[in-house]
Amino acid sequence: MVMKKKKRITSGIITYGILIIALIWTIFPVYWMIKSSFTVSNEMYVARPKLFSLHYTLENYIELFTETHFPRALLNSVEIAGITTVICLVISILGSYAMTRLNFPGRRFFRISSIFSYLIPTAVMFVPMYVFVSNLGFYDNKYSLLIIYPTTVVPYCCYMLMSYFEAIPTALEEAALIDGCTRLKALWHIIIPIALPGIAVVATFAFTMSWNEYLYAMIMTTSTDQQTAVVAINSFKYADSAIWGRIMAASVATSLPVTLIYIIAQSQLVGGKSDGSVK
Amino acid sequence: MAALTKINRAGAQTRKDKRLGLLLMLPVIIVIFGVMGYPFLNAIWLSFTDKVVGGEANFTGWDNYIALIHDDIYWLSLKNTIIYTVGCIAAKLLLGLLLAVLLNKSIKGKTFFRTALLIPWAIPGMVAATTWRWMYDSTYGIINSLLISTGLTTTGIPWLSDTHLTLFSTMIVNVWRGIPFFMFSILGALQTLDKQQFEAACVDGAGSFKQFWYITLPAISSVIGITTLLSTIWTFNDFENVWLITGGGPVYSSSTIPTYTYVKAFTENNLSGAISVAVSVIPILIILIIIYARANKKSS
Repeated sequence: MVMKKKKRITSGIITYGILIIALIWTIFPVYWMIKSSFTVSNEMYVARPKLFSLHYTLENYIELFTETHFPRALLNSVEIAGITTVICLVISILGSYAMTRLNFPGRRFFRISSIFSYLIPTAVMFVPMYVFVSNLGFYDNKYSLLIIYPTTVVPYCCYMLMSYFEAIPTALEEAALIDGCTRLKALWHIIIPIALPGIAVVATFAFTMSWNEYLYAMIMTTSTDQQTAVVAINSFKYADSAIWGRIMAASVATSLPVTLIYIIAQSQLVGGKSDGSVK
Repeated sequence: MAALTKINRAGAQTRKDKRLGLLLMLPVIIVIFGVMGYPFLNAIWLSFTDKVVGGEANFTGWDNYIALIHDDIYWLSLKNTIIYTVGCIAAKLLLGLLLAVLLNKSIKGKTFFRTALLIPWAIPGMVAATTWRWMYDSTYGIINSLLISTGLTTTGIPWLSDTHLTLFSTMIVNVWRGIPFFMFSILGALQTLDKQQFEAACVDGAGSFKQFWYITLPAISSVIGITTLLSTIWTFNDFENVWLITGGGPVYSSSTIPTYTYVKAFTENNLSGAISVAVSVIPILIILIIIYARANKKSS
């Protein structure tokens, strides 16, 4: 009995030991980003920086929001990510409904291709896409991203929404259809309200995907008034030097909204799943 | 008679469904086959031309690909990409699995750990890379400062300048950011497992390692497989992490296929050459996608 108890205590110590190491490893870069954003520059640029600052300051943030193009970039990000999310949700809800509920020629083929197109990586597509979008006349224009982002966001949304729609029993809809309700009305009045929590989660992920995207945003925009937030962060880096206080402040400002949204959405997913399994 | 009208009506309904289905699918079809498919096919054509930024495309046959075969930097980038992918995936899988198993136990503070350990995946990848670049900094970086004060080194480690080390430095960051994806996928699978099986195994006297190896692992293997393949595709094509930390340098020491594609396209202005680099790895991706499709089919 004593042996068993001892064994339990050791395994508890090991579990917590590993989790605490993992926690430090996970949190430290985030701490360092936040700490650097509040540090005055004469404490920042020393050969052996200290773990904690002696003086904290808002200087980096004040400069960032009053003297640079960052506020504009933040608004660009809100605009692009917001519009992308709305466009992609509308397209994906209609498409996913068709792919789960309607029998039309090529349905299986489209289902498969919408999933596989999610797997085609940006690294392969970015030069062809750059040529394509430039030929359409979009150069140094943030709205070109509204053409590009759906190619990654729509397949993702369809993949998620199809599984939500499939979980809704068809009986509900069939009853309405027999009563003379049209397919689109059934989608609007029955499917969407039931799937709404799932749609909300998909919307937050679609938003964060567009908000975080870097490669396309970098190659498609060059002037400062077209940049999104992630691109603007890097514009405070110059060939020979970088204003790290400002870069870290911009990093915090860019991460904060999406990190909160993401964690809330994720907890919805995990919470929902475990509720089901915990009888 | 009544039955006949019913059949007729049903027929009309299916015909209507067919038309409506295609109509509703149209935007998705345009996005996937127009906005994505057209540039993709056009790219394959361009890789057989001498297209540069702002120039006309003239057909040159296999020239770009022949040039790649003789291009040492291309082979170095391919080798680096494979090391990067295999190394990062192995580390992310093992650490993600370990943490998922620990978080699946009934322990205090579970929600706290779960939320905190998710953060690297939640922040933008660009921000993660930039923050690590700052921590690696050779003069003002905190990592070397900590290593020196603990006495592990006296001069600090040249994370961003030693050509033997730069690729490894970028891999650490990819692993840091990618662990939560594995952890959460595996944790999700663990939570759906049947507890009774374990109770039975416990009664039979199976140790916890044996239980894990013979019961848990086979039960979650399909989720592990899909997670690994998805992450392999993303890791293989990870641009921003390498680009923002080392820029693929110094002297191409950390160059990967995505960063080399970028350099060829936008530094050397050689669009067709860049596309041929990207197109050259498509066979590898197709193999991965086929494996993914098989694994996906099996699990569902």
